[in-house]
This record gives sequence, structure tokens and C-alpha cells, in this order.
Amino acid sequence: MSLLFYLFSGLIALLLILFVWSVRSTRRRVPPSTRAEIPDDDGRRHMTYLSQIRQALAATDYEFLSKRASKEMVRRVRRERQSVALGYLAALRRDFQSLLRMARVIAAMSPQVAAVHELERLRLTAKFVWQYEVIRWKLLAGLAPVPQLDGLSNLVSGLSVRMEKAMNELGERAAAAAELASSVNRRSLDVT
Amino acid sequence: MNEIDAFDKVLWGLNVCLQARLLVLLLNRKNHRIFPFLFVYLLIAFLQNVVTMASYRIWAFSSSNAVRIAWGTQGLVILGRALAVAEISRRVLESYRGIWALAWRMLVGSAVLVLLYSLAVASFEWRLLVLNADRGLELTMTVVLVTLFLFARYYEVTIEPAVRSLAIGFFLYSCFAVLNDTILESWRNRYATHWNLAGMLAYLASLLLWNWAVRERQPEITLGPALLSQGVYQTLAPEINLRLKLLNEHLNQILGPEAKRP
Repeated sequence: MSLLFYLFSGLIALLLILFVWSVRSTRRRVPPSTRAEIPDDDGRRHMTYLSQIRQALAATDYEFLSKRASKEMVRRVRRERQSVALGYLAALRRDFQSLLRMARVIAAMSPQVAAVHELERLRLTAKFVWQYEVIRWKLLAGLAPVPQLDGLSNLVSGLSVRMEKAMNELGERAAAAAELASSVNRRSLDVT
Repeated sequence: MNEIDAFDKVLWGLNVCLQARLLVLLLNRKNHRIFPFLFVYLLIAFLQNVVTMASYRIWAFSSSNAVRIAWGTQGLVILGRALAVAEISRRVLESYRGIWALAWRMLVGSAVLVLLYSLAVASFEWRLLVLNADRGLELTMTVVLVTLFLFARYYEVTIEPAVRSLAIGFFLYSCFAVLNDTILESWRNRYATHWNLAGMLAYLASLLLWNWAVRERQPEITLGPALLSQGVYQTLAPEINLRLKLLNEHLNQILGPEAKRP
């Protein structure tokens, strides 16, 4: 068999996988205009427990414990700290995804988009996914450091007022579009 | 005509009948106004069948005249198919003005790149030139369709079921055509008799899918979202990107050497 055959077969297989994945994903979706609420609020919810998480992960606490407590207790605490770190990492990802989703909805509903912003977002997403997976696997293998929580509150302490306003605008326009769509459908039914 | 296998003849007849049915269906449901390029493409393909059938009757199946007519008209058919694929892309994204402006440039760019690539890796044997061009164009269409669907997925754009089915039909046929042409190039003599049959079977599957897709009248205007004012994107896009960047930097800090171990 020729190299060309393998080359094109591999390419077609890759394209088939991508196509099936994207077709399956677009099937279940609802148009952005009909669900223009503020995306996923989990990012803010987990911030409520920020001080407790910070306390649980504090290096001084762990040092203190390792001097006083039994080995079994230290091991248990380490496991718990690891699961807290993993939970924290997952919350970070949710924050990232909710921001990303909002950005995509805004871009889809804008009359003009800038390629530079869209490509930058794509680059940041790829970087985040890579870093997230590296840290997660390191944490699972017990090789990763405990995340430092300082400064996190600045990132996830809620979306700005302007974003809230934009989302309200999206909601209002979605309602108007839904009204328009239903009236058009009614009219087309009348015609037929 | 006698050189063609009986099963091939039946399959060919079936394909022509389904093509004719599809054309009638498009006209009857007035879907030809919504998909004009699809209609033109099917009409060209139908006429190609009529012309090649006549050429096989006048000359022989493997005569140089018949071969020239078959491959010559193939260029027009592929052009028609490319326009129909472009029409599908426009139909999916035209309501989203901002991302459509970005998407069509990306689709054209990827199409040009893939076409150049597939022509560059092809062997430049004179007899295979048309075959390679055919494969290049088919591969380009598959890449355009995949890019379109990835784009739609990324921006959460809903695709009408009929348009999705039409696109799936085009995609599957083009994928198959690429493989079919590549196999023919590799095993020219041994595969030549099966090449036509395999192509017709793939086309039959696509025709069935298209017939099903346009069985109902499609809405003339797609109701897209109510667009936001331009200022919203200009303000929020950089702000969101900045936040994403900060989250990335935060992960980077976690990976940094100064972080404490558990």
C-alpha cells in the first residue's frame, strides 16, 4: 500500500471523528438567544468558602500538624488537602468555562467581531486546558504543590456590572426575538 | 454499454431516478428558492448522467471520447457541489453577522490551503491529473464542512435539521470520494472495475439522505438572534480575555516552583 493511501486515510479518519463530534454537539444545543441568562454561577458560589479553603490549605497548619499528630493522621490530612485542591482546581475550571461561554455568546450575537480577540481566546483556552490537566495529574499523583489562593478573589468575585448589564440586554432581546419568532410562525400557519 | 455490469446499470438507473425525484421535490416544495445552488448542482449532475449515458451508447464505455466527456463534465459537477457546500455554510451562519464575517474568511483560507496541499502531495502524472484535482476538491469540501460544524459548535449556533442532513450527505460523499480516488490511484488496474460501483453506492446513500432532508418545505428566512449593540462586544471581549488570562496566570503560579508541597 502506498504512503499516499495511508496519508489520505488518516486524514479522512481524523475529519470523520471531528465531524461526528461537532454534529453530535450541535444537535443538543439551544440557540443562544433563548437562554441569555448569566452563565453558570458556580464560580461565585465556591467563593463563599474561600476563607475555609485557604485555611485548609495553609502551609503553616500542615507544618504544625506534622510535628504534633500521628503519621496516620498526617496521611489522612494530606489526602483531604489533596481532594480540596482538586475541588478548587475544578472550581477554577468552572470559572474559566463560564467566562468562555459568555464570551462566545456575546461574540455570536455581535454584529462585528475582532479576529484578534477570538484567536486570543482560543489560545488562552488551549493553554488553560493544558495547564489544568498537568496540575490535575500532578495532584492525583501526589507530585503537585498545593495551590496558592491569594489573589483568586479578584478573579472570581463576581462579574462586573457591565457584564450584568450586557446579560440583561441579552435577556430582553431574547424575549423580543422569541416573541417575533412565535408571531412569524403564527402568521405562516395562518397562510398555510 | 454492454461493457457495464448489470448490477452497475441498475444502480446507475436508481441514482438517476433518485436525482430526478430530488429535483422534483425541490421544485414542488419550493425549496429550490432556498437552496438554488443545490438545485443547480443536482441539475448538472442529472444532465451529466444523461450525457454520459448517450456517449456510452454512441461510442463504447471505454472509448476515449466517452472518457473525455465523463471527466470533462465532472469538473462542472464538482464546481456545482462546491457552490452548494458554500450555500450551506452561508445558510448556517448568515444570521450571525459578526461570526459569519470571520467564518467565511476562515473557510476560504482553509479551502485554499487544503487544495494546495492535496495537489502538492499528488503525483503529477498526466493521466491522473483530473483524478488528483477531483480528490483535492473533494478533500477541500470535507475540510470546509468540518470547519463549519466546529465553528457552529464553538459558538453554539443551532443548525436546522434539513441543512444538517444535507451537509452530512455532502460530507460523507466527499470523504468516500477521497478514499475511492486514492485507492484507484494506488491500484489502478485491479480497482478500476469496482471504482464506479463504490462511487455509485456512496452517491446513492447521499441521495437518500438529501431526499429525506428536503421532504418538507423549508423556511425562506432563518430567524437568527437579535444582535447586541456593537459596543457590548468591544467592551466585554477584551475584559473577558483579560480575566481568562489572569486565570491562566493563576494556574501558572500553581505550577511554579515556589508553591508549597502538601
